[in-house]
Amino acid sequence: MVGLESMSRYVSPVNPAIYPHLTLVLMSIGVLFTAWFFVYEVTSTKLTRDFFKECLIALVASIMARMNRYIRCFCIPVYTVSLK
Amino acid sequence: MRGCRYLLLCVLVGVLALGWCQGELNKDLVNKKIERKVDITSQVVKIATKITLENSGAAPVKSFLVALTPEEKEKLSSIIVQSGGSVLKIRETKVDEQPDVAFYKVDLREPLNPSKTVNVDVEYILTHILEPYPASIQQGEKQLVKYSGNHYVLSPYPTTTQTTTVAVPSPNIESYSRLKPTAHTDTSITYGPYESVAAFSEDAMSIHYENNSPFLTVTRLERMIEVSHWGNIAVEETIDVLHNGASLKGPFSRYDYQREHNSYSSIKSFKTIIPASAKDVYYRDEIGNISTSHMRIQDDAVELDLRPRFPLFGGWKTHYKIGYNVPSYEYLYSSGDEYLLKLRIIDHVFDDMTIDELLLTIILPEGVRNIKLETPYPVERLADTLHYTYLDTVGRPVVSLTKKNMVEAHIQDLSLHYRFPSLLMLQEPLLVVLAFFLLFLMVILYVRLDLTLSKDEATESKMRVSSHCEQVHTHHEKRARLYEKLEEEIHKLKSSKDVAQSQTTTKKIQASIKDETQFINDLVGKIRADSTDYADKVAELQKVDKALRECVVQQLTNVEKLVSGKMSKQQYMDTDNPLHRKKEEALERIKSLLSAI
Repeated sequence: MVGLESMSRYVSPVNPAIYPHLTLVLMSIGVLFTAWFFVYEVTSTKLTRDFFKECLIALVASIMARMNRYIRCFCIPVYTVSLK
Repeated sequence: MRGCRYLLLCVLVGVLALGWCQGELNKDLVNKKIERKVDITSQVVKIATKITLENSGAAPVKSFLVALTPEEKEKLSSIIVQSGGSVLKIRETKVDEQPDVAFYKVDLREPLNPSKTVNVDVEYILTHILEPYPASIQQGEKQLVKYSGNHYVLSPYPTTTQTTTVAVPSPNIESYSRLKPTAHTDTSITYGPYESVAAFSEDAMSIHYENNSPFLTVTRLERMIEVSHWGNIAVEETIDVLHNGASLKGPFSRYDYQREHNSYSSIKSFKTIIPASAKDVYYRDEIGNISTSHMRIQDDAVELDLRPRFPLFGGWKTHYKIGYNVPSYEYLYSSGDEYLLKLRIIDHVFDDMTIDELLLTIILPEGVRNIKLETPYPVERLADTLHYTYLDTVGRPVVSLTKKNMVEAHIQDLSLHYRFPSLLMLQEPLLVVLAFFLLFLMVILYVRLDLTLSKDEATESKMRVSSHCEQVHTHHEKRARLYEKLEEEIHKLKSSKDVAQSQTTTKKIQASIKDETQFINDLVGKIRADSTDYADKVAELQKVDKALRECVVQQLTNVEKLVSGKMSKQQYMDTDNPLHRKKEEALERIKSLLSAI
């Protein structure tokens, strides 16, 4: 067991103070990519669509939008008790 | 007869020797002076005793005993023994000669040598020892309580001189027991000094006085702490409060309560102090938010002024929740994957509080291992359980502990050591990301589903043409960029005049242009199968492009000639100008053709 003397204060990977701003930025990027994905899906024909391009856009959109959703749980006090 | 006497002596010596072996009742110690302060101004009784111990024997003494009456032992919440500013080690023990008395063995910091003295401070807090007398009163009546104690300080050692001062909240005293010398001033009663008091002396003390301080008891405190490694610690306390003073007799009149300020013992509001870093504080019960509360942020704490939904009279109770968030960096320490959580077992609920029962649960993140708990005083640790909230898979480990009869002295830190691989933090967000990605994949799959029963040739061919035309556009764009590059090279050549160097790059570019042109030529054939109209347009585009290419190549050769001196400047100017015009025309034409494709 490590003693307190050899330990340092734990700092979370993301500073809780920037959570609201981070949420906004991630949400914008997420929405942009989601929109791009659906526009692409609708406008491309079966001869023109590229599976890898679709996957890439989808991946970026899901990471941005969902990370945002996950982090947003910290910022809204109602959820803070049960959702972390 | 003589044999009998010897036997008796032997037994006595044996018993004594046993006593000595345990080292419990040391006859050498003497209380030279005792000053006791009994504080009965609030609902709890705080007794602070200053003892000057003397070793009158011949051998050094390592420890001594503190004695409490059985009644005191039953109501005892906390006991601390200090000497010279440091807390001494203390443990419960038994003495065979006094089976009724509760003893605590205290280890001295350094052995007390013969004929030397040491000062020790014994402080202990008793709860629920003040008895409301009368047990029930009407609204507007003052609350009287009775304190029963001992005129002498109960000690296993003889005392040379001792004094007891009892602090009372007001001069209104109904009656108090007298053991001369006794003195009474406004808010204190002094007993003593009593000289040469024998060990284990007892004499009943009784004080019947007015005490309108809040008699509030937390009958059950459920404190839940949820640790998140994303930087937050959520604290929620579910509190059951009972007014355990004299119970209310007769009806409650809201009118009288509002009009006359004579509800002495009832409780309108109380203050709770929470950590300074607390955020998102809430005060609610089953119905919802209790709006009658105030929060004051001070430098070192956050003060909550809580007012229950109704005033509390004797015997009335209420139930509420308090919750807040604190940042984890104030309470969590780490070294690699090893973590240490250091936070209060209980926090302040109100001044001079008594907590009958505590249930503390600490919810740790999923995947925590090797949990080790250290507490500053003994508690009962319950079996670890699992807690499931959103996105949990294997469940969060929960450490729970319980303790009865707590007071303010128990506001101390616990230490919880555990191991947590930091990568596991990403598990939950990744779970959400994955779920959302699956949704996208379903869309990708859905657009690929072809549920038509028969093929529609017309639309199929249209689709093919548009797809091929799109490819023509991409290839042409590439080609246009290559032309730009080529022109840049021509400009460069004019200044560098290095023909050999320029030729290698221009040849490469020209080869790429040819490739792109070939691609488009192939596409023309494909388009012609579906639509001759579009094929002709693309063929036209190719024709114009050919003219453009010839112009550019001619420009290139001219510049090469100019640079190597095979052409005069005037000649170059004459040939270049019409070429330039031709190129412009070709570009114009390409533009219009492309917009039609």
